[in-house]
Amino acid sequence: MVEMDLLVALAGQPNVGKSTIFNILTGLSQHVGNWPGKTVEKKEGYCISDSARIKIVDLPGSYSLTAYSEEERIARNFIINERPDVIVLIANASAVERSLYLLSEFLLLKAPIIVALNMMDVAEQQGIRIDIGLLEKYLGIPVIPMVASKNKGIKALVSAILSLSDWKKEYAPSIADISEDHKGIFMELADILERYISPPYLDRWTITKIMEGDPDITEKMRKTIPPDSWNKVQALLRQHEDSLHAVVRGRYNWIEGAVRVAISEFKRGQILFTDRLDHILTRPVIGIPILLGVFALIFSLTYGMGLPLQQLFESLMNSLATSVEPLLGQSPWLRGIVVDGLIGGAGTVLTFLPVLFFFFAAMAFLEDVGYIARAAFVMDRFMHVIGLHGKSFLPFCLGFGCNVPAVMGARIVEERRIRLLTILLTPFVPCTAKLAVVTLVVAAIFGEKALIISWILVAGNILILGFSGAIVSRLFFKGQHMPFIMELPFYHKPNLRTIGMVTWKRIVAFVKKAGTIIVVFSVLLWFFSYVPGGNIEGSILGFLGRSMEPIGRPIGLDWKMIVALLASVAAKENSIAALGVLYGVGEEGIREILPGFMSHASALSFLVILMLSIPCVATLVVMKQEMGGWRWFLFSFTFMLFLSYISGMAVYQFALLVGI
Amino acid sequence: MGKDMIPLIFLQEGEEGIIHSVEGGLRLIGRLASMGITIGVRVKVVRNVGGPLIVTTNSTRIAIGKGQAHKIVVLRLTDGKTKPA
Repeated sequence: MVEMDLLVALAGQPNVGKSTIFNILTGLSQHVGNWPGKTVEKKEGYCISDSARIKIVDLPGSYSLTAYSEEERIARNFIINERPDVIVLIANASAVERSLYLLSEFLLLKAPIIVALNMMDVAEQQGIRIDIGLLEKYLGIPVIPMVASKNKGIKALVSAILSLSDWKKEYAPSIADISEDHKGIFMELADILERYISPPYLDRWTITKIMEGDPDITEKMRKTIPPDSWNKVQALLRQHEDSLHAVVRGRYNWIEGAVRVAISEFKRGQILFTDRLDHILTRPVIGIPILLGVFALIFSLTYGMGLPLQQLFESLMNSLATSVEPLLGQSPWLRGIVVDGLIGGAGTVLTFLPVLFFFFAAMAFLEDVGYIARAAFVMDRFMHVIGLHGKSFLPFCLGFGCNVPAVMGARIVEERRIRLLTILLTPFVPCTAKLAVVTLVVAAIFGEKALIISWILVAGNILILGFSGAIVSRLFFKGQHMPFIMELPFYHKPNLRTIGMVTWKRIVAFVKKAGTIIVVFSVLLWFFSYVPGGNIEGSILGFLGRSMEPIGRPIGLDWKMIVALLASVAAKENSIAALGVLYGVGEEGIREILPGFMSHASALSFLVILMLSIPCVATLVVMKQEMGGWRWFLFSFTFMLFLSYISGMAVYQFALLVGI
Repeated sequence: MGKDMIPLIFLQEGEEGIIHSVEGGLRLIGRLASMGITIGVRVKVVRNVGGPLIVTTNSTRIAIGKGQAHKIVVLRLTDGKTKPA
């Protein structure tokens, strides 16, 4: 047997179990990155079989292949330019019609396709019976029934990939045609356009895309062909405004044909589990209290299980620091860089891991069983007020864990404007680190009233988030409507593998992005708090803090608190360590001495600014990257500085006024 | 016959209709089509209480914003028991 290399693309609509299949096929060989120059995730990996090394590229999930979103553009450009040996289109057996729609688009690209009909078990439960043989015959391509969540059908899929790549000549798919009444226009368009269409683009595909009004292809053709011919094309399209409908109708006729020959349904009378649950969960009056309850439960579980581990890691890191210190000799430099910088920074990352792990696992669980889509649905009405829609709800939730994966999570929002606004608002979600600082300072200063004050601060923070969204969306996106279309997948049993992968991905985002930046900045922070005077008072940081004191006066902050806020930019919880150093008590003693230095009003102002001001560097870096340019990033940067200063001043002055 | 031709948003919970037309941009039409909502498809409204709607077809279940639901015109199906508009 000859070793051969194959390139296989995995395609499919969202909620068809694509990542599950990708994970099974590639196992640990997968590599996750970005598509070049895009903020869309690219996953690839290898599947080694007896006779071939199969490189598997996971195309972004998309409902169609028209260039309406970055995902769709990437998927189709990959097929057109890279010409994979085989495309595996993953379809949902319980929603065959829709999956076939995407298939009809892929078939037009003349690529060798296998349909992996996943979730056969779900279809069966719903009384849907699919005759695989007849479906294969109708489509003219291999169809592999699968239950990926139970590892069924994987072997058959791999051998189908191998045999299709071997026997391309016998492959004769049926292709959806444009509806009868529009064939004339298609021919007329073809007459004008054909001579200008060059590889890798195919005639039929290009003309169909022109009829669909595809923005990319329309633009490309407009540039290629002479103006008078283009005017003719435009005139034809104007005469037949319903061209898109003709294309769509053609596809659905083809789909209906497939459904007629191969699929029979017995149910309908039976109330599905999903119907029953949705009846409760999507009704605002009941759904919203349930949502709040679910999140209360998640937070108490997360912190209940995470905090003990966090303390354990903390003491481990401390004992590591004490055992390493004697080995470093007399040099304050080595000590500073290793103990304060490296161990301190790495310790920060490590101690947040347990809480983040439990939190992200819980979120991934809710996503996997299908609940998050319902949460997004009931939250949509509130999100509209702040210029967003339901899909932004998930990134915001993730923000309570760590803002870094939350900003990256904003990718699920397709519309660029709404995605930008989501990223802009995410830093206003109080993350684990901010909450840790709030808890500590509030407990030290307010004693018995700590719980209430913390709640007021967090609630106020969320209100400011909403308020900012309302303002920014009205200022910049005025009158632009926000289309909201979202699939509500069927509820299903949790798949541990998928949950594990999603959790892992977000944890890695935290460790890799936040971790490296936090460690580097912890070292830098130590440097700036040591040079040139040899202590924090005489350091650059101290100098900065002192020179900023006039700015601090109206908000009730002395220079030490300002330094603590500056330090919080490396990582939010650094502010505690900085205060400890500045007041000469270390981190542990801070609780006892803080009330002596910080008035109630100053503490409130300090915390408000900590929560609303620019986030940690790690979040800033990811924001810049995901916003795809400086303009919005700089805007949000100044916006946060301004807003936090104003709010801090308001809170401080108010607190003085009423004598808190 | 025209009286039962109404925007989707006016269907009550539990009512069904057949999609007659989708107004609006190519983008909306294309996106809905790819999710199984297109002319001739039978839809059922399962949630319509002020916010977005939940609409099901026999192969899908999607949430649609109010704005979009105004642009989808359906022929309301009456089963005799539903009260006339």
